[in-house]
Amino acid sequence: MAGKSGRSINNVPEAPIKKMILSWEGILVVLFVLVNIFCAVFSEFYNLKSLLRQMPIYLAEVFLMLPMAYILVLGEIDISVGSIVCLSATMSCIVCNTGAPFIVVVLTGLVVGTLCGLVNGFILTRFEELPPMIVTLATQIIFRGIAEIVLGSGGSISATNTDGFRLLGGKVGSVPYILFLVVILSVVFAVVLGKSTFGRRVYAIGTNRLTAYYSGIHVQKIRLIIYTVMGTMAGLCSLFLVSTSYGANTTTGNGFEMDAIAMAVFGGISSTGGKGNLAGGIISAFIIVCLRVGLGQKNVHAQVILLILGVLLIAAVALPNIIGQIKRVVKK
Amino acid sequence: MSEYVLELKGITKIFPGVKALNNVQFQLKPGEVHALMGENGAGKSTFIKVITGVHKAEEGEMFLYGQKVDFKGPKDAQAAGIAAVYQHPTSYPHLTVAENIFMGHEIIKHKMIQWKAMNDEANKLLKELNADFTATAEMGTLSVAQQQMVEIAKALSTHAKIIILDEPTAALTRRESEELYRIVDKLKADGVSIIFISHRFEDMYRLASRVTVFRDSQYIGTYDVNGITNADLIKAMVGREIKDLFPKPEVKPGKEMLRVEHLSRTGFYKDVSFDVRAGEIVGLTGLVGAGRTEVVESICGITRADSGKVYLEGEEVCIKQPSEAMEKGIILLPEDRQKEGLIMSWGLGRNVTLPTISKYAKKGFNDEKTERELAKKLLEDVDTKAVDIFQPASSLSGGNQQKVVVAKALSQEMKVVIMDEPTKGVDVGAKAEIYGIMGELALKGYAIILISSEMPEILGMSDRIIVMCNGRKTGELSREEATQERILELAMEKGTTNGKGAK
Amino acid sequence: MEKKSVFKKITGSREALLAVILIIMFAAITVVSPSFLTPKSLMDMLKNNAVTMVMSLGMLCVMLVGGIDISIMSTLALSGMSIGMLLKYEYITSPVLAFAIALLIGTACGLVIGLVISRADVPPIIATMGFMYIYRAMGYLVSNGGEWASAKALGTFKNFATSKLLGLNCVIWVIILCYVVFFVFMKWTRTGRKIYAVGSNANAAEVSGINVKNIKMLVYVIMGFLAGLGGALQVSIYASAMPDMQQGGEMDVIAACVIGGVSMSGGRGTVIGALLGSLILATIAKALPLVGFDALWQNTIKGILILVVVVVNVVLQRVADRNALKGREM
Repeated sequence: MAGKSGRSINNVPEAPIKKMILSWEGILVVLFVLVNIFCAVFSEFYNLKSLLRQMPIYLAEVFLMLPMAYILVLGEIDISVGSIVCLSATMSCIVCNTGAPFIVVVLTGLVVGTLCGLVNGFILTRFEELPPMIVTLATQIIFRGIAEIVLGSGGSISATNTDGFRLLGGKVGSVPYILFLVVILSVVFAVVLGKSTFGRRVYAIGTNRLTAYYSGIHVQKIRLIIYTVMGTMAGLCSLFLVSTSYGANTTTGNGFEMDAIAMAVFGGISSTGGKGNLAGGIISAFIIVCLRVGLGQKNVHAQVILLILGVLLIAAVALPNIIGQIKRVVKK
Repeated sequence: MSEYVLELKGITKIFPGVKALNNVQFQLKPGEVHALMGENGAGKSTFIKVITGVHKAEEGEMFLYGQKVDFKGPKDAQAAGIAAVYQHPTSYPHLTVAENIFMGHEIIKHKMIQWKAMNDEANKLLKELNADFTATAEMGTLSVAQQQMVEIAKALSTHAKIIILDEPTAALTRRESEELYRIVDKLKADGVSIIFISHRFEDMYRLASRVTVFRDSQYIGTYDVNGITNADLIKAMVGREIKDLFPKPEVKPGKEMLRVEHLSRTGFYKDVSFDVRAGEIVGLTGLVGAGRTEVVESICGITRADSGKVYLEGEEVCIKQPSEAMEKGIILLPEDRQKEGLIMSWGLGRNVTLPTISKYAKKGFNDEKTERELAKKLLEDVDTKAVDIFQPASSLSGGNQQKVVVAKALSQEMKVVIMDEPTKGVDVGAKAEIYGIMGELALKGYAIILISSEMPEILGMSDRIIVMCNGRKTGELSREEATQERILELAMEKGTTNGKGAK
Repeated sequence: MEKKSVFKKITGSREALLAVILIIMFAAITVVSPSFLTPKSLMDMLKNNAVTMVMSLGMLCVMLVGGIDISIMSTLALSGMSIGMLLKYEYITSPVLAFAIALLIGTACGLVIGLVISRADVPPIIATMGFMYIYRAMGYLVSNGGEWASAKALGTFKNFATSKLLGLNCVIWVIILCYVVFFVFMKWTRTGRKIYAVGSNANAAEVSGINVKNIKMLVYVIMGFLAGLGGALQVSIYASAMPDMQQGGEMDVIAACVIGGVSMSGGRGTVIGALLGSLILATIAKALPLVGFDALWQNTIKGILILVVVVVNVVLQRVADRNALKGREM
């Protein structure tokens, strides 16, 4: 079949350079540089070496941001991840204290996390009418509740055999293992989301779920996979968390879900679904990590850092909307 | 005092990219029922929204009882005594009937809502309309016909002098339509002027004294209902002979591609059987809500049938997901382009390749170059009026959006193509092009199922016509035996039972 | 239309069903532990849950328009901490003034949130997440970096929670007053019904001339006001103010609403439902130790309860839809 009018439709994409500079990611890169300059001026201890030494505590949360970005692109939310971190940290500490080999401890953390994610995914796909917010609110309370039961009245556990965790917290030269893992996983998650058919389908579901379904996409299967991976990554996060604290308690991972969401949203990933990419999320994660290290060095209280984070988060979402509104008014 | 209660002159309304109304006029006499007719996309609904103050016209004047008026919003129109009952009732599903009726003008005493007075008043209005439900029922639990009745009660409660009914009978059974006719007669007797939009000639003959026709956003003429023949009216609406519009090629049907036997789904359709052969276009028609879409949705695995069998090329198939249907060669082009057919904010290219990305992906990663080539070819094949494949689907007109939906189906080898209302909201020119594509597909040996409520389209394009009514297949007509009257008869045959069952 | 049987009426109405569940719970607990059903024990239960109970009313309004507010406990901490510090350093001494200041701060916090959500179109979950950080940090800053205001520092203010009026604790009077006011407001005033209308169909509301943006802002102002009240109550009941009080408590408030039948997508929910939902949660917390469960189990049971409630809801809805279809004649 040939078009009768013989009209030709252009299919050559625009040069990407121009797009990149004006994009949100471009702004974030500039912000990243500014934050580092600010930190260096603010704290005389702030340099590459101290950054590498102090960053592992904050880096663990980046593991959560990566799959959270997928969930946000789906137009959904998972607020149970902090509790999953708590439960898998608790379980891996318990297994560790039985004297099991460290590989079993690692597997425990990952499997517990994966199972928790699977529970979320199963409920959400089996009863797809339910809002993810409510389901993960309930599982948030349940997962942490189970950890509370397991931990008993003391509410905390410390790993007696810390060798394995110490190993996990090790370094190559002055670069900690966790940084390698964060970088590798960031690249993997970003490439899968941006370049693979799986990623394309995630965007399709997040933008218009019905159209995606009518176009032959297995919507529920993809949702199940993503929630399960979210759980696995929470398990991974918990292992590295234990490797810095050598223990777990009932407040482990408290508020991590919010931090992960904040990193992703600040990186330009819209919570309403279908928009943003992981490049932005990863840059914003590193901005926040650097800010935390820099401010932490001068004993600025964690609350103040959260205050700055909150303002940045709201500004990042509100400003483009306000600018858009002003533009529309001016046009009229 | 003017001769007309409502008069509009030289109304022009421009939406980004399209002139939705071009210099149209309209006059409404006191106490008359005035039919407004035209094809989908002729501008009727936009025109109504101009009258009710939802849209503001760029040009033109509006006179109410001879006085020039300028509505700033829907509230002004309401205050002036104009009320509209829309095709899809705009109600609050969680609230009671009484609240829906009195929303915005509640009965208030000492700043408190007077529920008892409101319920009594609402029940009085409902009784006048002969409604079979009470004011305390929750709106969301009512049928479409009952919801429309609530909307009419709402219009009465504001003491509207002009009531606009936008395709009120489209989803109603015969009995429900009769009930509506009775209500309209009663309103007329009370001195209310009524503008009545409908596709059905039956409605017009039964109710209206005059009819105004719009076509392609323009005013064509106003006629006395008794003074115009059916054929002239169709010509006024369509603007050309039906023959020219439907380039139906003569195709000798090949082997059977799809056969459906005794398909049933509780509450949606029952015992539906039919078949489609290669190169054949089978029209599936009936009133809105007759179960047409539901049947094909089950064939494609979007919903599951409770019983019955589906055969593809003679072999029984069990399809649970749309993706399986596509793998086997059946594709549904859904009715609602914006919600089900396209991702409006995405570029055309990505929309076209969405169902098939994995086919030419390399190890799970998108091959964007191949994708762009394919998108370009397919979009040019269906002659989409677009500049490049990156522009968002929302930037196209309805007709061109539909072409993109068709291109989605062409991105892979298909056997059966099901088109659900493919020309809804499409202008006449694009319609002819879509019919052209349909004809070409048939020539290439595709089996096509065409679902449509538009009589000329069904008559003009189908080799065979299957009529459904209230979930059942009520008849099958060959191209030769099919006439408009015959189809309507079948479509309303069993329309005597209420959709909701015994109360 | 035929009259529905009493049984059908009860199973058909969410509130009636919850009330029955609550009564059964009361009865069962009393059998196991008779000390539960004494006026003192019940009053203690209400007093200890006053904050959640009062704030679920605000959450009801927010959720009715399809929103969510997870910043409420930060607002509570900010307002509570502010009056705690004002009392501690004797800038003010009058309890009335302290209450007024707490309410004022809460309302202002809510107004800012409402503006950001309704005017800058920030999704409620993101906006309130940001303000959850911001207000919590402001509360911490107000506390001079983590000071507490202890019972001694609070002076006469803490007496509010221990004094009685007509035999009932003042805190319980506050709960009753709030619920009565909201019951009337949501049912009988035009503004109350507008909240329902916006939640049920925002487009239709816009067409019928309701200012949707203002209603969306109003619900967060109401929420802020009640969070301010919650702050004053919290400080008074526990006779102390600290910057991290009620951290994570917003989930209890949301849970109370969800159990009470308030829909996350808006439009559905009642004051009675919010009351019953928060009472059920309060009863569970009170009863677990009494019936021999370790208090450690409280959260798990609460979470499972929420899950069961929402899942059962979906299943019932599916059954109802199916039955409605079966009744359709073809």
